Amino acid sequence: MSFPPADFRETPLENVTQACFGLSYFLAFGLEFAVLLRPGKALRLAGLVAGVAGLVAHTIYLGFHTPNLAAPGASLLAVAWVLAVFTWYGTLHHSRRAWGIYGWPFVLAILATARLAAIGEQTPAILQAPAWLTAERFWGGFHGLLVLASAVGAGVGCLASVMYLVQADRLRRKVAPLGGPKHLSLERLEQMNRRAVNVAFPLLTVGLLLGVVLLRQGHDVLDHWWNLKVLGTVGLWLVFLVLLYLRYGSRVSGRRLAALTIAAFVLMLLTLAAAHPFAEGGSP
Amino acid sequence: MNLRLIGCNFRSAAVDLREQLAFDAAKQERAVNELAARFGCEVVLLSTCNRVELTTAKPAGGRPFDRDLCAEFLSEVHGVAPERIAPLLYDHADGAAVRHLFRVASSLDSLVLGEGQIAGQVKQSFEAARRLGATGPLLNALFPFALRTAKRVRTETGITKGHVSVSSVAVDYVKQVFDTFADKTVLVIGAGKMGRLTLTHLKELKLGSILVTNRSPERAIETATACAGLAVPWDQLDDALVKADIVLSTTGAGEPIVTAKRYAERVAPRRTGTQVILDIAVPRDFDPGIHDGDRVCVFNIDDLSRVKEQTLSVRRRAIPLAEAIVESELKRFADDWTRRGHGPVIGKLTGEVDKLRTEVLTQLLPRLNGKLTDEDRKQIEGAFRLFQNKLLHGPIAALQEAGKDGQSGTLLESLKKLFRLE
Repeated sequence: MSFPPADFRETPLENVTQACFGLSYFLAFGLEFAVLLRPGKALRLAGLVAGVAGLVAHTIYLGFHTPNLAAPGASLLAVAWVLAVFTWYGTLHHSRRAWGIYGWPFVLAILATARLAAIGEQTPAILQAPAWLTAERFWGGFHGLLVLASAVGAGVGCLASVMYLVQADRLRRKVAPLGGPKHLSLERLEQMNRRAVNVAFPLLTVGLLLGVVLLRQGHDVLDHWWNLKVLGTVGLWLVFLVLLYLRYGSRVSGRRLAALTIAAFVLMLLTLAAAHPFAEGGSP
Repeated sequence: MNLRLIGCNFRSAAVDLREQLAFDAAKQERAVNELAARFGCEVVLLSTCNRVELTTAKPAGGRPFDRDLCAEFLSEVHGVAPERIAPLLYDHADGAAVRHLFRVASSLDSLVLGEGQIAGQVKQSFEAARRLGATGPLLNALFPFALRTAKRVRTETGITKGHVSVSSVAVDYVKQVFDTFADKTVLVIGAGKMGRLTLTHLKELKLGSILVTNRSPERAIETATACAGLAVPWDQLDDALVKADIVLSTTGAGEPIVTAKRYAERVAPRRTGTQVILDIAVPRDFDPGIHDGDRVCVFNIDDLSRVKEQTLSVRRRAIPLAEAIVESELKRFADDWTRRGHGPVIGKLTGEVDKLRTEVLTQLLPRLNGKLTDEDRKQIEGAFRLFQNKLLHGPIAALQEAGKDGQSGTLLESLKKLFRLE
């Protein structure tokens, strides 16, 4: 059983492009911004509808172009999809809070990075479905999924960190509680960041170890240690380790932890955007 | 309309006189019953700490319930000389009375602009009068309109935005930092009046525990007992500060009790998480340099008062829109009331012409008997009904249009004479 079913493959849905959902997310962001200036149910509803439209287009796109997680652009598209779902749900759940104005630009930035990463990329971005689920590719796919899940965790942590920095700055300047958009409390944002990093770190650790094992089996590890993706992932793992140490082992301010989480996510993006060591010798 | 609204408020009368003229529930009930019986009018009596107002509606004829009668009545009830009361009373009639009531209910006439209690107080006064049978057609129509106006003003303008008391603003800031409060510890330093008020607001958040410290151990125990907290000796202030998530400081100390140096050395290194310090003492108890907006947030009385002023400024910007809503509702009420006034005349007019039509048809149809089919009869009856409607459309429309301009009186009289409706 493949997705989408064979009889759907030759449909107009196949023509859904990255521009379709990119523009929908941009519209959702614009409407969210408009709600802040002029609160109203109609605008809020329109923003949610634009978000749903983007998610549907994004899902259809990923359905027709099953992403090869080893391809930089494709893996970022998958991360962006999960974060778009998270942003949309947050917009619905935190209806009176400034959520979408942070979430949608974040998703758009990842999509833009995916677009840039795909330029000149040699690895096929689309898998010959559903080959990645076959036994010989299972562990490669599993490794990819773990790294992807940790990227989502880092993304959520980064989003919470950006909101934390804004809220802390508002408190530092003693901005009146009635002025501007309402933000989540510092405590809630810190909790969100902590949980995201706590989940992302073990996933990244297991994903990284699995990647090393796969490299040893199929290739000579020493041939690939200098690969940007491998170096970036190891660096990222170390950043996460430092982040956890600072949080639990040392009394570092929330602002510094937030800044480090943002740095970790940027490193994660660069790592995902780099060419995979398997690109030359096949696919995971 | 024959509507009067007479009373005094915080602008026209000093607080000592307002205190003397205030009504408790029992007194209010007696006064409403007495007024309705003595003057034969509809009455609603509104008595709050900032105003005493009587809204009366009386059928045409007889002496209207005016300022002097009101002063005499209030004097009788409260035992204050009428000469003292009369000059402080304002007296609004008809449209001006409606406008005043709508503005009061919408809190446009309140001491604190946009305060949320007045609409409820207006509603309670009206409900009380209605229960006593002291309201009639006019006030039963007017007060729901006033409450609807208040609701529109509240929801369509920013007039109730934010908080305007220092203690409420302090709680707003605390909510910017914390999400849950059941696991939070509050430390109360000192026992000032403002501190107790703020603590009352904070307790609504369902706090985990309360610690109280004071230079005087007796006062610490007294305050701790009053707020179900735990008294902490003054010399353990630093330890208490380490434990506390929220600090409420209201001492009367002449200089800061916690300097930036003391905080950095004895408190900050031992603490995790953010701490909010509400320093509402004058002079300040905490060095403002401690504030960083991340690990420690210090809000002093100036910060809280500034927010209060900003909130009022935002509310003031909503006044033009609120006044426009009051004017539009005033017009709607006037139209509605005029329409209600025309109802009986229009009903009588329609009934008279209906009777004439039936009489003519009753004479005509038997004469044509045998020559008409059922369809023909229906056609003739329909034509007569159409003729009646067209004939009456002009006068009724003219009456309604004149009513909108408030000049329907002459026309109404003419119609009554023309169609012999008396």
